[in-house]
Amino acid sequence: MSQRHSILRPSALSQWLIHIAVYAIALTMLVPFAWMITTSLKTRGEAISTTPTLLPPGWPWEWQWGNYSQAWATANLGRYYINSTVVAVVVTLLAGIHNALAGFALAKMRFAGRQPAFTMLLLVMMLPVQVSFIFAYVICGWLGYVDNYQALIVPFLASAFGIFYMRQAITSVPDDLLDAGRIDGFSDFEIFAYIIVPSIKPALAALAIFTFIASWNSFFWPLIVIDSNDLATLPLAVASLSNQYYTDSWPVQMAAATIITLPLIVIFLLFQRAFVEGITLTGIKG
Amino acid sequence: MSRRQSRNAWFFLAFPLTIIVVFTALPSLAGIVMSFFEWSGGGSPRFIGLENYRALNAAGPFWPALRNTLAFAIVTVPITVGGAFLIAAALNAEWFRGRTTLRTILFIPTIVSIVAIGFIWRWVLDPSPAGLLNHVLEWVGLQREVLPDWLGHSPWGLATIMAVSIWRGLGFCVVLYLAALGGVPRSMYDAAAVDGATSWQTLWHITWPGVRPMSFFLLITGMIGALQVFDIILVMIGTNATGWTDVLNLYLYREFTLNRLGYASALGVVILLLTIVITAIQWRSMSRSAEEGT
Repeated sequence: MSQRHSILRPSALSQWLIHIAVYAIALTMLVPFAWMITTSLKTRGEAISTTPTLLPPGWPWEWQWGNYSQAWATANLGRYYINSTVVAVVVTLLAGIHNALAGFALAKMRFAGRQPAFTMLLLVMMLPVQVSFIFAYVICGWLGYVDNYQALIVPFLASAFGIFYMRQAITSVPDDLLDAGRIDGFSDFEIFAYIIVPSIKPALAALAIFTFIASWNSFFWPLIVIDSNDLATLPLAVASLSNQYYTDSWPVQMAAATIITLPLIVIFLLFQRAFVEGITLTGIKG
Repeated sequence: MSRRQSRNAWFFLAFPLTIIVVFTALPSLAGIVMSFFEWSGGGSPRFIGLENYRALNAAGPFWPALRNTLAFAIVTVPITVGGAFLIAAALNAEWFRGRTTLRTILFIPTIVSIVAIGFIWRWVLDPSPAGLLNHVLEWVGLQREVLPDWLGHSPWGLATIMAVSIWRGLGFCVVLYLAALGGVPRSMYDAAAVDGATSWQTLWHITWPGVRPMSFFLLITGMIGALQVFDIILVMIGTNATGWTDVLNLYLYREFTLNRLGYASALGVVILLLTIVITAIQWRSMSRSAEEGT
């Protein structure tokens, strides 16, 4: 992938100090999560003890695994898991296709209105959500989306950032490849499906991961458009744990936090190569 | 041929652009217009000119929220971006061990739900002796009495929010910087080596200018994001933030939930104007320093 540089070679002592500093920073990234997991396996008394232990007392089979079922049952997390997964999967798949098609049109097709369309996208990317969300909410109300799945899905079926990102990736596909396809009699859509998509797989994967994470974690918008309990997404449900039942039960809250965190970390670990490659290849270099 | 291509292109663009126009572009325009009206969501809006903006200026929460928002952006963004540059430069060096593992670890806070982040940090910073941070600080010899309430409505609360934001944002910038560092031409480093530059000089005179476009991208998008800071405060401190922990966006959210849509829109416009002004300043200063070739 990216070349590494042998030229930056400070003294051996500096190298040691740099290693220590970077590893210390990395440690601060891990400790809170480790603390979350160990707390989630303690009893309430053990968690708030004035002499906290790193690991829960006793053997692993004596730890409080029941905190997980308690968090799951009390907050009805199964239901919200399904909500969040359905919304995130639908949005990721459809937005990926829409953004890639639009990015293809902007990158490789000649048509009247291309420049205005692209300029509008760039402007929209700069707009803070604070100016748009009030009327996005009002419009969702007119469309009957408020407190419906549609409100969580439809506004996210395409994004200015996603289109921009796809356009950058597709611009780097050589025109010769496309011309070869045209000579073979491919239609524009066939060129997209058989030439463009295979050449930008890493960027598509990166965009898919971005979109999935954003959808799975989204908090502000669901907070506004969802009122009824059974449509809530996982972050809303977990957030309500803290003000409803368990203001003082840290282990159950930490179990809930673990439940919401784990799938993303697993997905990231599985796909991180594609993700990092996608970022590198598209050359979002500003 | 060209006409068919034009038709196909618009066919590909029609749906995505409709989504963006209906749910982002039009609502933004409507929000700007509505900032000159009084509207509670029902009935017809009443035009009141600049009254919302005058009321903002007179309202108690506005100026502290503005101060905190600006302080948040000005402190967190340069530290996150600068820190990420140094970390990425270290990870990218040939002698550095554990690059891939560290990149993964650093990225984890970025992908974890803000709600989980809020839970975890509230617990780590808990004021009781069981709170991990206070426990560690006592262990190294600090007196419990001198430890602040990390999540209070004091400058400490704001500082905590800043620290957690930096902690959360570093990994994303590191990954993007690593991508950019691969693009700095080898010949630049060779030239520096011939001139007998030290490592620090090379870092400052070759590497840093070499990734300028990425720094530019990260500083501008970072600032835009920082001016919208909201959810991290909501999950760590709550919507009732006041004084040192209130920010513009939280104030906007409270007004929105009170159905004062015109007033909330005016706050949105203030955030938009701040975004434009700060982006323009950054743009100018960064293109100027590019011309000077520092």
